[in-house]
Amino acid sequence: MEILLQLVYSGIALGMIYAVIAFGYQLTFQTSDTLNFGQGDALMLGAMVGLTLVNMGLNFWLMLPIVIAFGLVQGAVVERIGVAPAIKIKSEFGWIMSTIALGIIFKNVAENIWGRDDLKFPSPLPESPLKFLGANVLPMEILVVIGAVLMMLAVEFFNRKTIYGKAVVATFNDRDAAKLMGINTGLVITFSYALSSMSAAFAGVLIAPLTLTGATMGSVLGLKAFAVAIIGGLTSGMGIIVGGIILGVAETTTGFYLSTGYKDVPGLVLLLLVLAFKPSGLFGKTAIKKV
Amino acid sequence: MKRKSLVAGVIGIAILAAAPLYTHNPYYIHMIGTIMIYAILLFGLDIVVGYTGQVSLGHAGLFGVGSYTAGVLFLKLGAPLWLIIPASIGVTAGFGALLALPALRVTGPYLAMVTLAFGTIIQILINEMDFLTEGPLGLKIPKPSIAGVQLDENSFYWMVLALMVISLVVVDRILKSQLGRAFEALRGSPVASDCMGVSVYRYKVYAFVISAGFAGLAGCLYSYSEQYISPNTYNFELTVLFLLAVIMGGRKSRIGSLLGAAIIVILPKLLDDLELFRMVASTLAVLMAVGGAIAVSREMTTVRAMALPVVGTIALAGFSFWLQSITDWRLSIFGLMILFVVYYLQDGIVGFVRGLLVRKGSGGGRAIVLASGAHKDAITQAASTHTGEDLLVAKGVLMQFGGLKAINQVDISVKRGTIHGLIGPNGSGKSTMMNVLTGIYVPTTGAIEFAGRSVVGRTSSDIALSGIARTFQNVQLFGEMTALQNVQVGLHHTFHSNIVDIALHSPRHTREEAASVERGLGLIDFVGLADLANEEARNLPYGKQRLLEIARALALDPQLLLLDEPAAGLTAPDIKELITIIRKIRDHGITVILIEHHMDVVMGVCDRLSVLDFGQKIAEGKPADVRADEKVIEAYLGGTAA
Repeated sequence: MEILLQLVYSGIALGMIYAVIAFGYQLTFQTSDTLNFGQGDALMLGAMVGLTLVNMGLNFWLMLPIVIAFGLVQGAVVERIGVAPAIKIKSEFGWIMSTIALGIIFKNVAENIWGRDDLKFPSPLPESPLKFLGANVLPMEILVVIGAVLMMLAVEFFNRKTIYGKAVVATFNDRDAAKLMGINTGLVITFSYALSSMSAAFAGVLIAPLTLTGATMGSVLGLKAFAVAIIGGLTSGMGIIVGGIILGVAETTTGFYLSTGYKDVPGLVLLLLVLAFKPSGLFGKTAIKKV
Repeated sequence: MKRKSLVAGVIGIAILAAAPLYTHNPYYIHMIGTIMIYAILLFGLDIVVGYTGQVSLGHAGLFGVGSYTAGVLFLKLGAPLWLIIPASIGVTAGFGALLALPALRVTGPYLAMVTLAFGTIIQILINEMDFLTEGPLGLKIPKPSIAGVQLDENSFYWMVLALMVISLVVVDRILKSQLGRAFEALRGSPVASDCMGVSVYRYKVYAFVISAGFAGLAGCLYSYSEQYISPNTYNFELTVLFLLAVIMGGRKSRIGSLLGAAIIVILPKLLDDLELFRMVASTLAVLMAVGGAIAVSREMTTVRAMALPVVGTIALAGFSFWLQSITDWRLSIFGLMILFVVYYLQDGIVGFVRGLLVRKGSGGGRAIVLASGAHKDAITQAASTHTGEDLLVAKGVLMQFGGLKAINQVDISVKRGTIHGLIGPNGSGKSTMMNVLTGIYVPTTGAIEFAGRSVVGRTSSDIALSGIARTFQNVQLFGEMTALQNVQVGLHHTFHSNIVDIALHSPRHTREEAASVERGLGLIDFVGLADLANEEARNLPYGKQRLLEIARALALDPQLLLLDEPAAGLTAPDIKELITIIRKIRDHGITVILIEHHMDVVMGVCDRLSVLDFGQKIAEGKPADVRADEKVIEAYLGGTAA
């Protein structure tokens, strides 16, 4: 029982990371109907840059704002190079391929800069577990949950309460109408990519102390977070948190009871099943296509 | 044209077949063999990517399934070649069907992610199921033996060549048959495909299954060729390489697939040579800068548009001199190539060359093969046995979108052999009614019977095949297909030949194909587009596109034809022509429901009219009576008609 509870705790922490990455998918999908297929690599870059800064002797907390700024820039670059030209020529194939290509380039560059081996990310909090409801929980796991929720709340607050956020929401509702109202929708889309990569980079430094850091850490995380985004629905805020936790717990328990080799399977199978039977997600609304 | 490419093909095959005779270096033989194996997979991938227009990131996984089917069958059962090849194809095609299942409901980025998840699962399974696959250690498998004779490198090469040529011919035939047209139609307009009786679901599955079959064959040959397989081969990078090959070589082209295969096999080997790479990168930068300068000076493009590629290539050249070793940067180079292809070479090398040739050559269009003289009457006489009975009866139809009742308790009955007008102000629910009748929407409540059978709940393609054809308010043609091919998609139901018939070009298939060309041309002639039969639909003027939609709908041999604003965008003389066409259609016993805003058309041809307003039927009767109806006048002109 204690082991199970412990697995649930780490599942929740992992799930919140998925939720943050999935949140990033939602941000860009809402403004432009596009996704960054290299979202996982944005996470990896965030973790890598964070690790470099920490190794240079910077405090974990001081490193955070720099990583966040880096994420913003990285996202904007992805959008400008990979997505904006594709939106201009209305090519779905174009942005899918170019975000994949950019993801590959980022991963390859990271391999060349930081090497192919997994690195240890020093934990900013004590690594001795705390007792909570009779099971062990790492302080870092608690930080992950708090940090993830704060990050999402901050972006939501921005979108709902500020005039810039309203431009984002307007673009989400109707891109053409927003354009006609004088909103620079191109800039809004770039901005949503910046926010999206920022949350991924932030998720990267949160998760890194709990796992190992390496050039390949992002790919599968990105894919599983997409599963979460689909399960939660690409338009539902609450959905991704629930979806993330379901997946996170499913994964830690599979990893423990079956084999760590199979730990990625439940998420991917869940993704296939949800898309096969309820493509709008468990929490999303079904849109009726007009002919 | 056809003979020329045939001759070129034969020469090409002869050169490939002779290759082992003039080079004795097994390295090159093995390389060409690998190119041909990849080409087989790319032929299949092109069906999904080029024709149905979907992104598949699962083909490395399918390739792996094929490889491991071969490997495991050999290792565990010692199965012979003649069993392993069909088994690999069959098993992989089965996995393709499995992959198509979730892929049915989704498109675009969702499908890309589904296929990516599928590929990842396959790789995990290969890695973990070590009782079957030996896990990360990999499998060894010797070259196959045929009739007890162990094949050496050269004879295996010839076997691969033979299978590649067979695949090429089969894929080419499939894509030029009704199947290929169905795949292309899915991409052009899924809704219209369904309404032409070509079920989007079914043909998407077919496309995936056929594509997977070729991936399986390629995978199986790859096992024999490498003689060692391990899970790491079938990773994400391989899948992206395959996609790069298809788009870089050129979509919808077999030569493109061959070129693409050659590029992804040879390029990594070229990249091993740093000196060569520096030279290529520098040349590219110089060419790009000079080309850009010329283009800008001739005002073909702007400085801004050229800045990125020029700076990019110069940066690449600089980068190449900074590098110590290029192998580590291989994936970045591939990534850059994808970006380049996606934005500057969208139609691939083949498309680019074709574009150059067409601009230079005389139009480049194929000669129109319209057999002169009278076609047989291309429109099938509808069964007009019981003229006057009700063909379509809708009772209490309610269609609700959230709180909005787009159609509210409407009853309509249409008599066989008549032209029934459906009019009403904008937003009154006319097009929604069409969509309900053709199964695109399922009505919230209500019953619809067509020729004595309920329509409610059946799929669009099923309804279409039972005899309801339609056109669309906003034209839904298959843009990249010719006018004739568009009509041939409508004639899809006349084909009974299966994939074996197509692969072998059996008499049945040849006969059906010829018949569909003749009837298609007849139908195009009927709507007055005879001289545009070989023009791509997207290039036709708007009015002609509407006429082409009518021809395509007639190809379905309908009992009932739904025309949704056919006169929109037509000029006055065209409208006269349209009225004649509609009357002729009726004279063939086909019942017509006509939605139209041009009142002269409506009043001129309709036998009966129903008027909708805010989703409700407010009047029905003969045109003259309806015109005098107070409610109708009020709906159209507003206010009270006191």
